[in-house]
Amino acid sequence: MDGVLIPTLVSGLLLGSLYALMASGLSLIWTTLGVFNFAHGALMTVGAYFAWTVSEQLGLGLFTGFVAGIGAAVIAGVLIELLLVRPFYGNRSMMLITVMTTLAASTILERGISIIWGPRLKQLPRVVEGQVEIFGAPVSAHEALIIVLAPVVLLALWWYTGRTRSGRSLRAVGQNASSAALIGIDVPRTFSLAFGLSAALAGLTGVLLGSIRFVTPGLGTDPLVNAMIVVIFGGLGSMGATAGAAYVIGMMEALLILWLGLYWTPAVLFMALILVLVFRPNGLFGRAA
Amino acid sequence: MSRLLDVQGVRAGYATVPVLHGIDLHVGDGEAIGLFGPNGHGKTTLLHTISGLLTPTSGTILFDGQDITGAKPSAIVAAGLVQAQQGNTLFGDMGVEETLELAAFSPRARDGWQTRLEEVHSLFPRLAERRRQRAKTLSGGERQMLSIGCSMMCNPRLLILDEPTLGLSPRLKAELRDAISEIARRGVPLIVVEQDVEFLLALAGRLYLVEQGEVASEIDRDNAPDHQEIMDMYFGKQAH
Amino acid sequence: MTRNQRLVALAALILLALVPAVVTDTYTRHIFIVAFIYGTVAVNWDLSLGLAGLFNFGHLAFFGIGVYTAAILTTALDISPWLAIPAGGVTAAIAALVIALPVAKLQGIYVVLVTFAFGQLCMQVVLSQGDLTGGAEGLVRLPYLSIGDYAFIRDFRFAYYYVALGLLTVSVISLLLLAHSPFGKSLRAVRDNPDYAAARGISVARQRVLVLVASAVFTGIAGGFYAIYLRVASPEVFGFSVATLILSMVLIGGAGSILGPVFAALALTFATEAMAGTRGLEEARFIIVAAAMITVLRIAPSGAINIFSRFLTSGRKT
Ligand SMILES: Nc1ncnc2c1ncn2[C@@H]1O[C@H](COP(=O)(O)OP(=O)(O)O)[C@@H](O)[C@H]1O
Ligand SMILES: [Mg+2]
Repeated sequence: MDGVLIPTLVSGLLLGSLYALMASGLSLIWTTLGVFNFAHGALMTVGAYFAWTVSEQLGLGLFTGFVAGIGAAVIAGVLIELLLVRPFYGNRSMMLITVMTTLAASTILERGISIIWGPRLKQLPRVVEGQVEIFGAPVSAHEALIIVLAPVVLLALWWYTGRTRSGRSLRAVGQNASSAALIGIDVPRTFSLAFGLSAALAGLTGVLLGSIRFVTPGLGTDPLVNAMIVVIFGGLGSMGATAGAAYVIGMMEALLILWLGLYWTPAVLFMALILVLVFRPNGLFGRAA
Repeated sequence: MSRLLDVQGVRAGYATVPVLHGIDLHVGDGEAIGLFGPNGHGKTTLLHTISGLLTPTSGTILFDGQDITGAKPSAIVAAGLVQAQQGNTLFGDMGVEETLELAAFSPRARDGWQTRLEEVHSLFPRLAERRRQRAKTLSGGERQMLSIGCSMMCNPRLLILDEPTLGLSPRLKAELRDAISEIARRGVPLIVVEQDVEFLLALAGRLYLVEQGEVASEIDRDNAPDHQEIMDMYFGKQAH
Repeated sequence: MTRNQRLVALAALILLALVPAVVTDTYTRHIFIVAFIYGTVAVNWDLSLGLAGLFNFGHLAFFGIGVYTAAILTTALDISPWLAIPAGGVTAAIAALVIALPVAKLQGIYVVLVTFAFGQLCMQVVLSQGDLTGGAEGLVRLPYLSIGDYAFIRDFRFAYYYVALGLLTVSVISLLLLAHSPFGKSLRAVRDNPDYAAARGISVARQRVLVLVASAVFTGIAGGFYAIYLRVASPEVFGFSVATLILSMVLIGGAGSILGPVFAALALTFATEAMAGTRGLEEARFIIVAAAMITVLRIAPSGAINIFSRFLTSGRKT
């Protein structure tokens, strides 16, 4: 058992890192605007494809590719905010309407990508080659990089929202938009900022994922459902709870795959989610709205 | 006296309900004015319109000679017109100090924010004691203090206070009123909404009675009404 | 329903029943059949999303469950398609009951997330159980409907046309009856004013369970019929694109109006099928539908929702 357990935990850590990156992007928009962005996964895909085109097709190198990918995701994210979310501010059914518009955006991006790039599988090169050992388990250096990078990004995000002027303004707008406006915060601009930042996270996740999985039009939407399970567990409220939930789910998923195999893992995860919700309708760590 | 704020024929309201039917009022530089009148007659609506949270359907609002009609709230605050909302709960999950620091948000508020923070602390020593406490754990009076303190952090050229003592105990009311008088003494022009006309008269040079979305009358210290006349203004003469 | 609406509905039904007399080519009839199936799915989604105001985003899972029930029963167990199709309604209703239990207690975005996740989970299960479901390839060559020696595919799908129309008609009539029953009225009342529920002692949880199960029955049957009619079952039915298509039928038709989505289903199915047949638009049609849905939401935000229903239900008592 020992021989499998450590690698399993490491792969759980990797999954947890990916979910944490995704879920923190989702939670950033939710806490600022009260919008759940169903196009978040599609933004990851946008990032990966642009990175591939710039780095592989145009041969401009992986770093330029990463920058281009994240930049493209940010542009797409801000456009979604401007065109599909902003017209509905203040609407009584804004939450519901934006579920539908971002769902539509996801379809548009996914299909658009498949029209532009075609069905052929692509892959991004790894940021770092070679292998390292984590607790004696061999891991590719790229995956180790993701495992290290995720907490760094989360800490940076935590520092940003807690310590900087613009980061604090995101929280202020999320908690009380009219009061925020009355101390001089430009609320619509802050909404765009939240979307842009969340899209940058999506883009980053997408380019990192694009070198451990094949880049397909479904690259980002496939893990989205697990990221959703994470935010439900975490309760969508605080970023800390969301990150914690991401690692819990990642570990659970890895262990379930070890014990039950790939087939039944999604179903069991979902059942666990349902159980949690039956007893805690606002999520495991969530507070009542 | 030059006019710092000049509200001319402002009409505004919500979706289908017009509330203000042509309001005219002004504030001179260095002046404090008061607004009073029965509940639900449009005072808060007027103040929201001045601050840009609502867009007037007609009329003009000039601030320091600049037309700010329909400007963004953030731009209005950046120009120095600041408001502490009625019943404001601010940012529940943020700490007191953090909130005050954030309130020095617009460029004009950034220079010398530390000095202003000390001023706020001297005005409301309790906020200094509760530095790390989260806003939602504060008492009603402390929340009002935080709200006014935030507005002070914006470095206002004109400060609007909408019912700052609403629902507070007499002791706290007195404490806050002292602080408001102190703000006026420091030379910040004010618009204060209050139900207590005597307090307003002590604080402000001129008072406007807002009734049914209009300015029903304007009073100053020279034609100050006595208690009975004030009651008449509120309830109408025929009620007696 | 007002007299006018009843007349419109009846006239539409008679016209649709006469269509095969005029339209004799297989392809056009095929589009009608698909439109009837999508229409059935759309009106039932409208029951939960529009009429009851339940943020159900897993409706297509009920359809997919119907599809795979019929497909698996006919391929793995050799059961007659005549039984397999209604069986789709049964399994979908059971699935709805299972998902309704937690959903009944949840609020707002959590309802959206759980129902949506449920749909995605169904897709993952289908993909992973390849032995039974055919995995990503799906199941093909399902048996077709026939009575005795008469295969429904014959005579340019004449019989299929009426089965599909019958399914839609029965489903719409049941929904109209439900909408105008005391239960339907209490659904609307609770949707428009949640406090009403508490005042009247209505159990919102019970309402939600009933609505989800009711909306799943015909959706599952439609799924079963879809599989048998097309003779394939593919995991695509669980995907974003089909969901967006059907959702746009509900919204463009006017959520809460029942008849609106039927007309929208006809219009949109013809539009998308025409695009599917146009080179260069095969993929783009989903983009166009999604854009159309967004446009409708932007024109009539709070309720897209209501353009059509206001027009149709102008005589509605409240
Ligand atoms: N958000 C709103 N939507 C619709 N009507 C409102 C809203 N806020 C206030 N009103 C209405 O506007 C009128 C004026 O209210 P307000 O300006 O708050 O009065 P005051 O501050 O003088 O008590 C009242 O009739 C009130 O019901
Ligand atoms: Mg008021």
